[in-house]
Formats: sequence, structure tokens, C-alpha cells
Amino acid sequence: MGDEAFTDINGKAISMDCHSHSGFCREFTVSSPKVSVGKVMVYTCCVWLLAYTVFFFTQNTAVLSSAILITLVGMMFHIHFVKVDHESLLVIGSLGIQVSSCYASGRETTTFIEMSKIKDIVINEAIYMHQIIYYLCVLLKDPAEPKAVSSVVPLFQSSKPRLNCLVKVYKSCQEILSKC
Amino acid sequence: MMENSPSPLPERAIYGFVLYLASQFGFFLYCLWAFVPEEWLHLIGLTYWPQKYWALAVPIYLLVALTISLVILFGVNMNNTAPLDSVDNITDMYAQAQGTNSCHKGGIPRLKDVSISEVNKMFYLSPQAIKSRN
Repeated sequence: MGDEAFTDINGKAISMDCHSHSGFCREFTVSSPKVSVGKVMVYTCCVWLLAYTVFFFTQNTAVLSSAILITLVGMMFHIHFVKVDHESLLVIGSLGIQVSSCYASGRETTTFIEMSKIKDIVINEAIYMHQIIYYLCVLLKDPAEPKAVSSVVPLFQSSKPRLNCLVKVYKSCQEILSKC
Repeated sequence: MMENSPSPLPERAIYGFVLYLASQFGFFLYCLWAFVPEEWLHLIGLTYWPQKYWALAVPIYLLVALTISLVILFGVNMNNTAPLDSVDNITDMYAQAQGTNSCHKGGIPRLKDVSISEVNKMFYLSPQAIKSRN
């Protein structure tokens, strides 16, 4: 399943890759666009111009050095904690699912949910800020109470793909979930 | 027994006109108090009025409060919206307390919530959905 111009809810292009490892094991990876050098340069120039203007009026060199420090620390914080490179969903029939997100600095966070806790994987619509979006989520159940939904884990939160991408993932997941 | 309706009636026109006249007169009195110097008011004998400062302060306070309340309304609404990982987006206690089907033969089945899993199957997995998508 190659990419056919998927976009996220804001219209930015993303790419989705579906890899079928075996008959009951599939992995879906949604990648966001990388940090663009142009944007970084524009932000840096704006912050430094502002700092220079403040320095011009106050003649305090601490303003310039603190601006440089803030820019550097801010960029490091952004690529390590905020900017997500790709998110992946690995579904293994009768074992569980694994959700992982990889940040731009290489850091990876992973969560595994075992099959006995999973009720279903569905596409739900909800209000998000000023709009209503479709999002894929895992419904978890308490093994003691199999009919009630105990909690919800939304998937692909940073890339937020649109419905065409979600339907592909949903159909693929349902094939595996219905077999086990 | 007359039904309430929002259509224009002669009484409502009279109420509206009276309100309009009263509000115009009230505004005229307010402008009078705001512009007439204090000494003239003291001469007539009206001494115990609020400071002239309030003639400007009260309208400004009201306008600023109006603008801020608009912004706060947006904020409160967004704060009260359930986040994407909340169970309230999927179901609630009324839907979970529904009884299982007990339909009589040939009767109309009871109106109740369809679970999200079934809705998804209907939308995205059924052959009819596949046909309508292509």
C-alpha cells in the first residue's frame, strides 16, 4: 500500500506505509513531514532580530546572549519532545498491539496492549478544538466486565490523518482482529 | 386557551414603543448629568450625585466586560469539551444501562443506541459501503 497523497486534518501531506509481516501480523507507519530548514531559519532570524531591537534600545548585552540560549534550548526541546517523526501501529493477531512514536531526535516511546484488554479498534468522530475530526482509537475493556468500555486510547495523535487513511488502517486491523 | 407565538401583536408594538421612548429619555437624562457642570447642579439643589468619573468609567467597564466574556465563553467551552481519550466520546451511563433486545414478533424494535463497533462495520466494512465509495 503506497501513499496516494494522504493528508492530515490541516491539509499537510503525510505518508502511510502498510507492511504485512505475515498473515496475522501487520504494521502501519504514518510519517509526518520533516522539520524544514527554511522554517527553522525564519524563526531563528525573527527571534534574533527582536533581540537585537531590544538590545538597540536597552544596550544590555545579556539580551543577545539570552536570545541565543533560548533559541538553542528551544530547538533542542522541540526536536526531542515535540516533533514526531513517525508513528507506527503493529497488530499481532491473538497477542496484542504495539503503538510507538518516534521523535525527530531519535527518541522512541512504545506502548504494548495485550489482546485480552482490547475490545475493538474503531474510527470515532469527536470535537477537537473548533472542528470535528475522525480519529482511530483502541477501545479497552476490563477482563472482568467484557461488555463495557473501560478506556480509550487514541492512535496517530501527532499526525492526525484524514478519513481515507484511517479507513485503510481500520479495514486491515479488522481483518486480523476478526480472525483471532 | 391562546397559544403563545412570537408573531407581532398590537400590544407588543405598544410595549416596544414605550420602551424605546423610556430608553431615549433615560439616555437624555444621563447625558444631562454627565455634561452639566457640578456648580449648576448644586445651585438647583441636587447635591448627592455620583462623581463625574463614573460617567466615563461605567460604559468602558461594560464594554471591556463584554469583550472579555466573549473570549472567556470560548475558553470555557473548549475546556469543557471531552478530550479525545475520554470514554464520554464513545458511550455514557445511559447507553450502557440499556436492556438487551426484547422485541415482540412483527413489532417495531425499541429505539436505542447502536454501539460504535457496529456503526463502524456498517460504514466501512459492508459491501454497500465499498460500492458507495468507488
